[in-house]
Amino acid sequence: MDWEVIVSYLPRYKDALLLTLKIGWQGILLAFMIGVLCAVVMHLKIPVLRCITGFYIELFRNTPLLVQLFFLYFALPKIGVRISAQVCGSLGLGLLGGAYMAETFRSGLENIAPIQSESAMSLGMNRVQTFRYVILPQAVSSSVPGLLANVIFLLKETSVFSTISLMDLMFTAKDFIGMYAKTIECLILLVIFYLIMLLPVSVAGSFVERRLRHAEFGD
Amino acid sequence: MPNLGIDVLFKGKNFLRLLSGLWVAIRISLISVVISIALGLVMGMLMTSRNKILKAVFRIYLEIVRIMPQMVLLFIVYFGTTRVFGWDVSAEHSAIIVFSFWGVAEMGDLVRGALISIPKIQYESAQALGMTGLEIYLYVILPQTIRRLVPLSINLITRMIKTTSLVMMIGIVEVLKVAQQIIEANRRTSPNAAFGVFAVVFLLYFLICWPISRLSGYLEKRWL
Amino acid sequence: MKYFVSKRLGAIALALTFLVSSLTGCGSKNSASDSVEVTNNTVYRTVDEIKESGTINIGVFSDKSPFGYVDENGEYQGYDVYFGNRIGEDLGVEINYVSTEAANRIEYLQTGKVDIILANFTVTEERAQEVDFALPYMNVALGVVSHDDAVITSLDEIGDKDEVIVISGTTAETYLEKNYPDIKLQKYDAYAEAKTAFENRNGVAWANDNTEVIAFAIENPGYEVGIPSLGSADTIAPAVTKGNESLLNWLNDEIKALGEEKFFHADYETTLLDTYGADYEDTLVVEGGAITGK
Repeated sequence: MDWEVIVSYLPRYKDALLLTLKIGWQGILLAFMIGVLCAVVMHLKIPVLRCITGFYIELFRNTPLLVQLFFLYFALPKIGVRISAQVCGSLGLGLLGGAYMAETFRSGLENIAPIQSESAMSLGMNRVQTFRYVILPQAVSSSVPGLLANVIFLLKETSVFSTISLMDLMFTAKDFIGMYAKTIECLILLVIFYLIMLLPVSVAGSFVERRLRHAEFGD
Repeated sequence: MPNLGIDVLFKGKNFLRLLSGLWVAIRISLISVVISIALGLVMGMLMTSRNKILKAVFRIYLEIVRIMPQMVLLFIVYFGTTRVFGWDVSAEHSAIIVFSFWGVAEMGDLVRGALISIPKIQYESAQALGMTGLEIYLYVILPQTIRRLVPLSINLITRMIKTTSLVMMIGIVEVLKVAQQIIEANRRTSPNAAFGVFAVVFLLYFLICWPISRLSGYLEKRWL
Repeated sequence: MKYFVSKRLGAIALALTFLVSSLTGCGSKNSASDSVEVTNNTVYRTVDEIKESGTINIGVFSDKSPFGYVDENGEYQGYDVYFGNRIGEDLGVEINYVSTEAANRIEYLQTGKVDIILANFTVTEERAQEVDFALPYMNVALGVVSHDDAVITSLDEIGDKDEVIVISGTTAETYLEKNYPDIKLQKYDAYAEAKTAFENRNGVAWANDNTEVIAFAIENPGYEVGIPSLGSADTIAPAVTKGNESLLNWLNDEIKALGEEKFFHADYETTLLDTYGADYEDTLVVEGGAITGK
């Protein structure tokens, strides 16, 4: 174990962590927006859009992110569409995540029994009020654990960014291994930095899950 | 219409090579899923135990699987183990180890959930009928658990097939690596091959995973 | 699925200590075995062991035409592979080619996953501390290729925002990192990825072995090698796991013996002539392990 080496590598790993987080959160934000949009389209059963959304969700849920990124980054420029590596990273993550988020939101919306909106209407609420005060809070609360699981999943998926030249954590480890062959040190740092990034999210996940369950039972 | 390089796939054995690359990916996933189901069943039963130490070990295990990217695990198993223990694990075995490590955790957790969700009254009724502990597991609990697990394990297969795209990084020549080799060997004659070849790979993954995940969704609706 | 946060935190803390302690424990064990050569537990195989097993594992590139690539029938081809085939023939064993990336080459040897690396491996001091190089079989320096409408003839021309493409784990990467830390590098794992990215103009130039960039500019229209030679003149040689004397000596004898029949000239004429023409034959080929000329 060469501590000197570890210390000298730290700054590069820190930069890599920041880049991973930056692209990761941009992608997740995009995924969130795409997910909500698709879920609403599917829920309200908007004719043509619904087919397109359905196709998009199936396509991106059934292909690996690595292949999606290769297509965006290496193949599209051949027909004149050039996107920078960082944008490709966020976009790829957003498109992949959007498909997963959409499913999560949709099942959140579907989980609410129809009797609830019927009861709300009979209490004199209009459609908007019903959606805002009855459906949405419950839909959100039941989909939050799923969403956080998606966030962890997406942050883990960022490890494939290295293939399109983004210097994320995985890339930094591979790069150092290739240049200086300090394999053990590089892999330990890699594990530690992934823990730093994902443990808080994982802990937050179980915390939020518990809080929401309280709310659900009106404790 | 510019040449988009689909034609390079029909040169020599190129398309066949691409398909055999895909088969490598499917083979790794299938073997891993079989291991995951077998060990997952055992694991799930153990996880219902009340032993504190056992529980802590399982928590740590599940947490590692939950947090570590598969690519990191692949690197650790493939390069790390040889460094540390001197084992020579082939790339394909490393992939199967990592995928099973991940699958057993998921399966174990599912089995545990399924076991817990079976109402206590069923155990009691079976006992009242004079069944032994083993018989209860074999004839009452296991059939119900497996029924719940089938759709989920099919779903795990698709996720594993998708994740096999990473094994290229530890030197396994699977579909994506074959795609790169084809692009490289034909760079001079069809410089746009990257488009056609990657598009076809995209499609191949979809054509394999989509039916499987539909099947899993269908079974889930019918059986759960 | 619901666990109390405190419980999970405890588990996580445990997991962390467990992981770190096991890894560090193993790490120190590893460095210990580095310093003391363990004779009965080596990762490498001697010539006799290889012959006995009937198969030799050789690490080559599978996406670096014309040195190591796979043709449309799935066969490995190229300058390095031509040599590899001969090694297999003379040892009387089957050859198992293992596809490597530049950054994995040292790793493959140190973990004994291949017996020889023949993946256009440039001899450098840093690498020689990690692996053992046999006699060289090719000359090499660094070169920089750019698009012919914006040729870069000096590294000073590269602007603040421009990025230069390199392949992770190559000498070009180490050289530029050390000598031109201000130049932004865009790094790829595989040759195929780097070249496609360069074609797509994701970087202003591509720095690599000059053999490779010259071949690229000759084979593909629209590119020009603005900097044909950069850094020191180096050589390319087969590499074996550190300490594998038996295989190293065998390789050195083999290379010397092959020099007498002008093997590497024949190799050049079979695999590289189409790309480079006859002009580069004497500058590139190293015969019998002896660096001649200049």
